[in-house]
Amino acid sequence: MTNLVVRNSVRFLFLVLFQVLILNHINLGGYTNPYLYIYFILLLPFATPRWMLLILAFILGLSIDFFTNTLGLNAAATVLIAFCRPYVIRAISHEPEEELGIQPSLRIQGFKWFFFYSAILVLIHHVALFYLEIFRLTEFFQTLLRVVVSSVFTLALIFLSELLFYSRRKARR
Amino acid sequence: MRNLILFFRKNYFIFLFLLLEVVSLIFFFRTNNYQNAAMFDWTFAISGVINSTYRDITEYFSLKRTNLILSEENAILQARMPEALYLTDTVVFSRSDSLLQSEYRFINARVISNTTNRRNNFQMINKGALHGIEPHMGVIIGNKIVGQVVGVSRHFSWILSMLHKESKISAKFLKNNQLVSVEWPGGDFRTGIVKEIPKHLLVLPGDTIVTSGNSEVFPNGILIGTIEHLNEKRDENFNTATLTFLTDFNSLGYVEVVVDMFREEKEQLKASFKEL
Repeated sequence: MTNLVVRNSVRFLFLVLFQVLILNHINLGGYTNPYLYIYFILLLPFATPRWMLLILAFILGLSIDFFTNTLGLNAAATVLIAFCRPYVIRAISHEPEEELGIQPSLRIQGFKWFFFYSAILVLIHHVALFYLEIFRLTEFFQTLLRVVVSSVFTLALIFLSELLFYSRRKARR
Repeated sequence: MRNLILFFRKNYFIFLFLLLEVVSLIFFFRTNNYQNAAMFDWTFAISGVINSTYRDITEYFSLKRTNLILSEENAILQARMPEALYLTDTVVFSRSDSLLQSEYRFINARVISNTTNRRNNFQMINKGALHGIEPHMGVIIGNKIVGQVVGVSRHFSWILSMLHKESKISAKFLKNNQLVSVEWPGGDFRTGIVKEIPKHLLVLPGDTIVTSGNSEVFPNGILIGTIEHLNEKRDENFNTATLTFLTDFNSLGYVEVVVDMFREEKEQLKASFKEL
């Protein structure tokens, strides 16, 4: 239990710093950039109380916002995916939540499950983030392109991190 | 009453979600009006320190470029020195100092955080209220446009970049002083759009667009960009044109904040006019 708390806190700090210091400066193709920080929300244990999901998402979003002077923007999008997460998990799993394991993982739930899980949440987050930032309909298709390209990059980074950091867990199971 | 409490307890997840969403959106739309950007002074302190440490490290990688830009600026300034001017006339104009009062003062600052990849971009600089910076001051690099100060804390300031959907700069053609406005349509940070070009105006690629000096933000004649091509609109009253920015927004090092010494006077005059 304490192990889980420590590991998630470290992941929180690492992802915020990584997002702010490195990913925010990446400028692919002129106007996209990946938002890996929501990986923290994706990886929270299944047993996390729902209110805690929302509160953590709110704090996470605000911490990113402080660095980009967009107070509330990332917070709104991140709270939205924290709200959707339980419903997405229920919709794509065949077995009850208690039998899914400790936390979402590519190795344990398999490629298909993890792909749909992360793709749906990343897409919701990016749609909310980009359209809220623009807040007008005149640039609809240009923004849609940004959403799609950025989602692909974010997903690629999520899968890369899964492959890099979570190879040990398979042996434990 | 008990049913009401039971109802809230049963659906607390949705209510908590709605509460946090509403709080976020209030934050977002309030700070978007730039009124209360400095309300959260302590967040400036944290993000300011982290941003400037980051900048301290990455600055070394762009030293060569920064030197180049500084030496170019030096050359421009040298050209303005009296020693660089050749007197072609025998008439000597003497001018007394009491006739001249400087209209603008410049505060130099270092950009410690900058983006160009969003629809709405900001820069953070390492000077703030302590150094005399106030909201609505213009920010330039060399003689080229950067943006406008929107939030000030003691040691840092946020600049609303030219690359922001709310940036609408009053500008003019250098060649004939015709007024237009410049905006950024998103996408590539090198190209902007010139709007409100009168139909009769002859626009050629390469025409220079500068600030008009009509607002209190920028002095007259700060360079914005050059015309790429004209987009004729048959069914509208004005033409638009694509513009290439002269500022390289992706490599801002040291910038200057413009302090208009007569701002108060100008604003007072405007206000008194409104009352009539």
